[in-house]
Order: sequence, then structure tokens, then C-alpha cells
Amino acid sequence: MLNIFPFLLVIANMQVVQPVFVITPDIEIEFTPRTPNQMTSFYEARGFPEAMLNVLKQQCYITVGITNLSNQKIWLDLSQWTFSASGKKLPREHRDHWKKRWQDMDMPLNKQSTFRWTLIPENLDYLPGEHEGGNLILPFSDKAITLHASFATGEHKQGERITITTDKLFCAEDAP
Amino acid sequence: MSALFNAMKQLLFVMTILFSTLVNADSVNTNPPFGIRNYDIGNAPDFTLLDIDDKAFTLSETRGHWIFLHFWASWCGPCREEMPTIQKLADILQKENLKIIMVNTAEDEDTIFEFLAAIDVDLTNLMDADGLVTETWKPRGLPTTFLINPKGEIKYQAIGGREWDKPEYIKFLKQLVR
Repeated sequence: MLNIFPFLLVIANMQVVQPVFVITPDIEIEFTPRTPNQMTSFYEARGFPEAMLNVLKQQCYITVGITNLSNQKIWLDLSQWTFSASGKKLPREHRDHWKKRWQDMDMPLNKQSTFRWTLIPENLDYLPGEHEGGNLILPFSDKAITLHASFATGEHKQGERITITTDKLFCAEDAP
Repeated sequence: MSALFNAMKQLLFVMTILFSTLVNADSVNTNPPFGIRNYDIGNAPDFTLLDIDDKAFTLSETRGHWIFLHFWASWCGPCREEMPTIQKLADILQKENLKIIMVNTAEDEDTIFEFLAAIDVDLTNLMDADGLVTETWKPRGLPTTFLINPKGEIKYQAIGGREWDKPEYIKFLKQLVR
């Protein structure tokens, strides 16, 4: 839920992945796949316990930056985003899932908090000109990932919906 | 007759001042600079946190002042970029009725000390060690700034990072707190 990731562009094994852009007249979305090492290096540097890192190493990370280019509100609602690979749905875990998982593992509150701040919000009303972002976490897949996303628009979500599709997403892998 | 004329002149003068004040107040309320939005959501949730000298700070004890309440973390790029401009803003507005309060989200003391020393910032910094105060305030992201009026009501929210020492922000804040 934040703009931290320009800061993370060059870390870990210095691997830089080119972002994927989806641009319409109303919205710009930037997707940057991150390798597990890149992300766990970030968390490790913030003192995350080994148990959290072991879980986080298994995930697929895509950093998303969304900019509202229109002159009205655009509503992010991740429940309106569907991911698939080779025709099969890729289930994204809700941030509540992660909250419960860390609580069940009795992880430190400050690490749970930092982790949550690195996630993209489940819901957010983007004001005209606003840019916000964060990480999406998906189950790992070695196939190309397709995303269908839909956004409500207008002060009371009364406007025409924006829909976007891209099949250019992927899970970044660390070099062997 | 002359007395009546003078009285009318005085009345007109007072009305002009009143009107001008109202117009100014309205322009502050309706036209904050880009990135700052009206956010009239009622009373600011109270909290008590320790500052970096281990001194307790309670938000509700600051009534009577405008409060610039800023949530940040050292790993957040825009937070790092804008922090020196908040210091400049604090220097420029030090005689105004505005207290600048920084809240670090969920980092340890050593990390905060190291970061602040490296960028040479001397502001009131509170430590939200477990991140729970930040969760209560629900900023849209980090960094986020809330402007709280002297009655303890949240009035504006600034989204994301910016150069706080730019003239439009200084002018807006000066108008707001006077």
C-alpha cells in the first residue's frame, strides 16, 4: 500500500526485471515481477524471523503501481481481479489470510505490520492524479499469467467500468 | 450627520474585513494544493506513544494547536525523499501555531536513530513500535499526513510524498493555521 518499490528496483542479485505497463486513457498500471530472493532480502533486512522468510520464499510477487489518469475517482477492488495460468485460475490470497497466518505463527506485531504495508490494498478509491501501489502475492506458477481486472468509476461508483486484460504477467524466478 | 456617516464607514470597513476573512477561509477549505484533500472525518483518534528520547506524547494534549501528523517508515522511498523538506517546512513555520509530529511505523529504535542521523532531521518523532497506532489511523499508504485542527478534528489528508517546502504548501499551511 505504498510507494516503496522504486527503492527496491536493484537489490539482492541485482536482477532487474522490466515492468509490464497497461495504459488506457483513464488508468495506468505498472506490473513488476520480483523474484523471491529480491523480496525476502527486503524482509530479511527488516529483521523478519526465519519462519516468515521461509513462507515468503515460496511465493510469487508482482509489484503493482496504479495511477488514476482520469478526472474522476477510480475504485480498486481486488475481488474484481482474476488471475489464471494455462486456463486454470490462480487463487490470490486476501490480506486477511496473511494476517491470520502470521498470527497463528505468533509472529512479532511490528513485522506483521510492515508486511501488510508492502501489500497492495484490497480496496482503495484513487483520486484523480493519485498513484498508489504495493505487492500482489500469488501462488508460484512457471506459466504466463493472465489478468482480467475491472474498476468502478465515479464518486458513487456510478460511472462506466474500466476493464483491462493482460497476458504478459509472470512469476520472476531467481537465477539458478 | 457626520457621526452617522463615520459609523456607516466603520460598519462598511468591518463588513469588508469579515467578508475578506470568510473568502480566505473558504479558499483554504476548498482549494488545498494538489495532493492534499479535504478529509473532514471527525475527531482524531487519540494515542500515546514514546518519542525517540523515551518521553511519552499524547495527541489529545496538543489541543489548541494545528497538528501535522505524518506517518512514515525508513524503507519507504517517498518517505525518505520528503523528510528533509518536512524539516525545512518546520523551520519556516516554527513561529506558527502548528506542531509537526512524525510517527514511525513499526521499526526499531536503532533503525530510526540511524536513519534520522543520516539525513540530519530534528523533528518530534514518535515510535509506533508494533504498528498498531498506524493501523488505527488507516493512512492510505506511507507516507501519509493528516492535518488536525485545534479542536482535535481531522480536516485534511495529504496523500503520498511531496516537497513540503514548496511555496504552495507553505502558503496553504500558513493560511490554515492563522
